[in-house]
Amino acid sequence: MPSPRHPLGDHSLPYTVHTELDSDDEVSLDTDTITDGDNITASPSSRGLHKSRPPTFNLNLRHTVDLRAITYNGTVDENLVCPICRCPFVDPVLTDCDHVFCRPCIDDALSESQLCPIDRLPLSSDAVSRAPKMIFNQLDALKAKCPCCGVVLARSMLESHLEKYCLEAVVRCPGAECVKLVKRKISGEDCLHYPMVCPDCKETHDEIDMEAHRENSCNERLKACEHCSAEILRCKEEQHEGECPDVVQPCKWAEYGCQDEAKRKDLPLHADECSYKAMGQMAETLKKEIRSLRSEVRTMNETHHLQERRIKFLEGGQRASDRPLDMMDLSLANLPESTGADALESGHEYLLSLLEAQQGRLSQLSAEVSDFQAKSTMMLFNETLPIKNELAELRSTQQVTCMHVRWLMRFRMQENQRRFGGGPGATSNGGSDGGSSSDLSMGRRLSDSLTRDIITKL
Amino acid sequence: MSFATKRLGKELAKVHGNLPPGIALVTAEGFQEWLLDIQVLDANPIYMGQTYRLKFKFSSSYPIEPPEVTFVAGPDRPIPMHPHIYSNGIICLDLLGTQGWSPVQNVESICMSLQSMLTGNTKNERPEGDEQFVASNRRRPRDIDFYYHDNTV
Repeated sequence: MPSPRHPLGDHSLPYTVHTELDSDDEVSLDTDTITDGDNITASPSSRGLHKSRPPTFNLNLRHTVDLRAITYNGTVDENLVCPICRCPFVDPVLTDCDHVFCRPCIDDALSESQLCPIDRLPLSSDAVSRAPKMIFNQLDALKAKCPCCGVVLARSMLESHLEKYCLEAVVRCPGAECVKLVKRKISGEDCLHYPMVCPDCKETHDEIDMEAHRENSCNERLKACEHCSAEILRCKEEQHEGECPDVVQPCKWAEYGCQDEAKRKDLPLHADECSYKAMGQMAETLKKEIRSLRSEVRTMNETHHLQERRIKFLEGGQRASDRPLDMMDLSLANLPESTGADALESGHEYLLSLLEAQQGRLSQLSAEVSDFQAKSTMMLFNETLPIKNELAELRSTQQVTCMHVRWLMRFRMQENQRRFGGGPGATSNGGSDGGSSSDLSMGRRLSDSLTRDIITKL
Repeated sequence: MSFATKRLGKELAKVHGNLPPGIALVTAEGFQEWLLDIQVLDANPIYMGQTYRLKFKFSSSYPIEPPEVTFVAGPDRPIPMHPHIYSNGIICLDLLGTQGWSPVQNVESICMSLQSMLTGNTKNERPEGDEQFVASNRRRPRDIDFYYHDNTV
C-alpha cells in the first residue's frame, strides 16, 4: 500500500484576528492621531524620530479561535466528541432523545432531514436545548495547543492567551500611525515598518522584513567566500569567517612563541610537528594547575576569614555569658554580692530564703484551710436546711394525724359508753350542752393520753 | 478550511492510526476522493480470497450529505457479485442514499457495513435489469432513486 501523503499540515490559520477597533480603542486612537498627526507628517520617517504609541495604549487584538481546527493535547475522551464533526463539542446541545451534538452540526443535519442522526427518531430543531453545564466545564478543561506558540493550556483560556499573552500572536504595531500587525514578541520595539535599502541588492524593503529578505529572497544574498570560494549568505559573512577552513590562522601555541601560521584546515597538520607542542601542552597543564591552586587559596582564605570571625564571636560571647551566670546566682542567694565572695554566708542566706518560702507557703495553706472550712460549713448548712424544713413539715402532719386519731378515739369511747352504760349514755346524750362539753374535754384528755400511747407503741 | 475538510482530516488521522481487519486505505489525496480496499474475512465462497476497491467521493457538505461510494474495477480488483451491486460498481444501499444516511456515519462505518453486506450474501448474481441499467445510466449514484424493496440481503 503506497503511503498516502498526510495533507493535515497545510491548512489556513485556526484562528481569526479582529483588526477592527473596539469602541474605546477607537477613541484613544483618534486622540492619538489628532495630537501627534502634525508632528508625524512634518518629521521625516526615519528610525530615530519614529513616534511610538504611549505605553498605556492597548495593542491587543481580539482573536477568535476555531475550536475545530486546533490541536488537542493527547486523546480527547470519546464522549466529548461530536459524532457529526468528530471534534470535541463546540457549543454543545442536548436533544430530547438524550444525544449531544455541536449546535451548528445538528442544525445542519436537521436542515437536511428531521431525524436524530444517531437513533433516527423524529427530531425538530425546537427539541434541542443547551447541554448541561457539566459538559461545558469538561470541554473548557480540555488541554489544547496554542496555534501560535504551541504551549498547552485549557481550551477556554486559548482566546485570552492569544489576545493578551502569546508571544507569537499578532498585535497592533507600536508605531503610532502604523496600522500594520506584528508579532507580540517584537512589539516591544518601535515600529519597524519603515523602508530600508538592502545593502546587498539596493532594493527597498521594510526593516521588519529585512532579515527574511536578506536570508531568503534577496537576489544578491549569496556570495562566494574569498578564502574557500563556497557560496555563503552575505548577512552571515562574519559568522562564516569564524569557521571558514581556508582562513589563515596562527598556531594555537602562538602565545608561547610559535610564529607559524596556517589555514584553519591545515592547523592540525602543523600541530603535529610544531616545535612548541610539548612545551605548549606543559604550559597548558601548568596554567591549569596554577588556576586551580589560586582558586583553592581563595577558598582557604575565605574559610580562614570565616573562622576568625567565628572565634571573635565566641570570645565576645564568653564575655557576655559571664554576666547571666552571676544573675542566676544572685537570684538564688537573694544577695547583691557574687558567689565567689562568701560561699558559707550565701548558703545560710539560701536556707533562710527557703525557710521564708516555706513560711509563706504555710500561711497560704492555713488561709486555704480556713477558707475551706467556711466553705464546708456553708455547704453543710445549705444541705441541712431542707432537712430541717422537711422535719417541721413532718411534725405538723403528725400533729394533724394525732388530732384525727383523738377524734376517732373519742368517738369510739362514746359508742362504748352507750353500749355498756345504756342509760347514762342516753341521758348524757340527751343532757345539756355543758355536760357534753365536759365529756368532750374529758375525752380529749383521755384520747390525748391514748394517742400518745399509740404513738409510743408505733 | 471547510467543515468537510476538518471532519475528513479527523477521520484520516484515525484511519492512519488503525483500521478494522479487512479494510485498508489506498490513497487519500486531498479531501475529495479516497480509495479503500475491503476484503470479506469469513469463508463466504463467493468472495473468498478477493479484494475489492471502493471509491469515496466527498462533497463539500459531507458529513451532512452522504459520500458517493462505488466499487471500482482494476487489474486484480473485481466488482463483487451481489444482488444489490451493479456491474459498473454502483451500490444500492439505503445507508448511502439521502434517506438512509446519517451524519454520524463515517468512512470506516461505511466500509464495515459493506463488508457485512457481502458477508451475509448467498446469491451469486447481479441485480435485476443490470445490463440495461449499466448501459443506460448516466446519472450519479446519489441521484438515482433506488427502490429499497429487498430487506433480506
